[in-house]
Amino acid sequence: MLSSSQDIRRSILAKWHENLSKYGNLFSSDSISGSSPPSVFVGSYNYPKVFVGPMVPPVHGDTSLLDTPEKWIGKSLEEIVNFRLKLVRGIQKISVNSTEGRYIEDLQEVTMSSKPIDSDLEFRKSTSSISLDGESAPFGPVGEIKSAKFSNSSTTKHIEKTFYDKDLVANDAIVHLYNSGIDISQIQKCFSMGMLGKKRKLVPTKWSITATDDIISKSLTDKILDFSFIDSCQVFYFEHLGNLFSVILFPHRWIYEMIEAWYSSGILGFGSDHEDARGINHPPAIAGAYFAAKLSVVEFLSKNNIQSGVIILREIRPEYAIPVGVWQVREGIREAMKKKPIIADNFDHALSLASKKMSISKSEWVSHSNIGRLMRQKTISDFI
Amino acid sequence: MTFGAKTSGSDDLKAILSAISTLVEEATFVATAEGITFRGMDPSHVALIDISWPNSAFEKYECDSDIKFGVRIDEFSKLIKRADKNDSIEISISEQNMLLVTVGKNKKYKIRLIESSATDTPLPKIPYNSKITLTSSKFDKILGDVQVVSDYLTIHTSDSKADFSGKGDSGEVIIDLENDTDDIDEISSKEDSTGTYSLEYLNPVVKAVGANAGLITCEFSSAKPLRIEFKVANIGRIHFYLAPRVES
Repeated sequence: MLSSSQDIRRSILAKWHENLSKYGNLFSSDSISGSSPPSVFVGSYNYPKVFVGPMVPPVHGDTSLLDTPEKWIGKSLEEIVNFRLKLVRGIQKISVNSTEGRYIEDLQEVTMSSKPIDSDLEFRKSTSSISLDGESAPFGPVGEIKSAKFSNSSTTKHIEKTFYDKDLVANDAIVHLYNSGIDISQIQKCFSMGMLGKKRKLVPTKWSITATDDIISKSLTDKILDFSFIDSCQVFYFEHLGNLFSVILFPHRWIYEMIEAWYSSGILGFGSDHEDARGINHPPAIAGAYFAAKLSVVEFLSKNNIQSGVIILREIRPEYAIPVGVWQVREGIREAMKKKPIIADNFDHALSLASKKMSISKSEWVSHSNIGRLMRQKTISDFI
Repeated sequence: MTFGAKTSGSDDLKAILSAISTLVEEATFVATAEGITFRGMDPSHVALIDISWPNSAFEKYECDSDIKFGVRIDEFSKLIKRADKNDSIEISISEQNMLLVTVGKNKKYKIRLIESSATDTPLPKIPYNSKITLTSSKFDKILGDVQVVSDYLTIHTSDSKADFSGKGDSGEVIIDLENDTDDIDEISSKEDSTGTYSLEYLNPVVKAVGANAGLITCEFSSAKPLRIEFKVANIGRIHFYLAPRVES
């Protein structure tokens, strides 16, 4: 059995290189031809002059799965890493304020597409090789683009309409697309490519993911504040990719806390953030996971017309050897909320149930939690 | 529908808007023949503001049917801040659903009204066992004194004595008050009472309204909401309610 994160990384990388030796010529060359899922990427390195470009695998056809995390539940870590590694990332250095011009407009067309787009990229020199460092989400070889050609695309109507509406502020545009049923991963790409809002600019992919989750979850939270409280303490659970999630809903006006625990060289680390109905006014210590998880849980509350207090426990096991992106938190919590909850006798019992499947005890979770402090604050409604 | 209200100066409206701005970003006012009222809670329902501004406080006041109008507080405040102390402020509502705001003699603003979302908010029903009336500057100072060590203010009264205290990671503080100083108007209690309240809510509202209020009255009972009344000359009522913090 594989135990350490390093072993898992080594094994995945070894298999990848084995594949490369079979198909190596497809990757390490000065050009690539394939169908972009569609996929675009904006780096944050060197901001505000960032590296922007399409991601293209060396195959033609329906490649959409390669960059649609909404469809990745049930896939293994290795499969997901391989999806990422297959995507060759073309780059050009562009100022974030340049949202016009041929290259960017082509990429915006790609982003709007409802289907994979045949793409031909030529690079200035052969693409670089890949590495897995365990810190950042992986992607495939990178090459500086000399020329990029894309076939005609069929656009997603809702996105096209929002793209041409230059009076719609970015927040409203994002919420509108979400309500129209567009996948979060596609909305995030539109935002990243400077396609939404009044004052448009390119937004590095990792910031745009967090911003999109934050904006959508905020709008859903506003909605649930009018709903009546859930009538019992309920515990939801799901695990995938070495991530264990417990979600507790309890009768209370909206308060939310997420606590994460991880093993780093055998030592347990903790991080947590929380908010009440006024929201959070600082960047959370646990970063994008906070908003991704919040989105999925308020999505559930909103669909069911209920309001509740929420505490999410996330244990990250060493098996999660390669971080694959915050989508796995979003989709993991979405899966948890589809399961049948266990009804707890009270909040304390719910905490016991939530910790039971984890290697971390209830008292350890509680010692890193602020929810008790939040619950000691009564509300005016308690006295009406 | 006819609605128009004109103040003789700008201080009262400034005080009202800054009090409301500590709790909400959007506010719905209700105008009736009797005057203008506002009632609203912050999003977490920890604090409530209840304001009544009677028609007698205005230089001119006219309202022949009840209306509600919603504004974004920051947008409204920006205009009102352009007024000098003695500038009159006149508000009315246009047919295009805009708020017309005339500041002084010649500055005529129009701002968009927003959909009023206000539902009827009931007031907490509780008997108040203890009462402290003091100058707002004294109260502001006490809050500052407690805040250096604590995020929460505990008020305790016993007969005609009161103390304010706070406890935090770094230490604690207690401030005794007696009825006999100039700053204190009244301390009375029907029974010993202790309540703990969040400075995160108290500080901003006392800062916002304090300068316009001479005296403020704090009323509370053990582990029950605190009600603060700000005495502002022309405004009938500014009541601030704050839910307590309790031990687990």
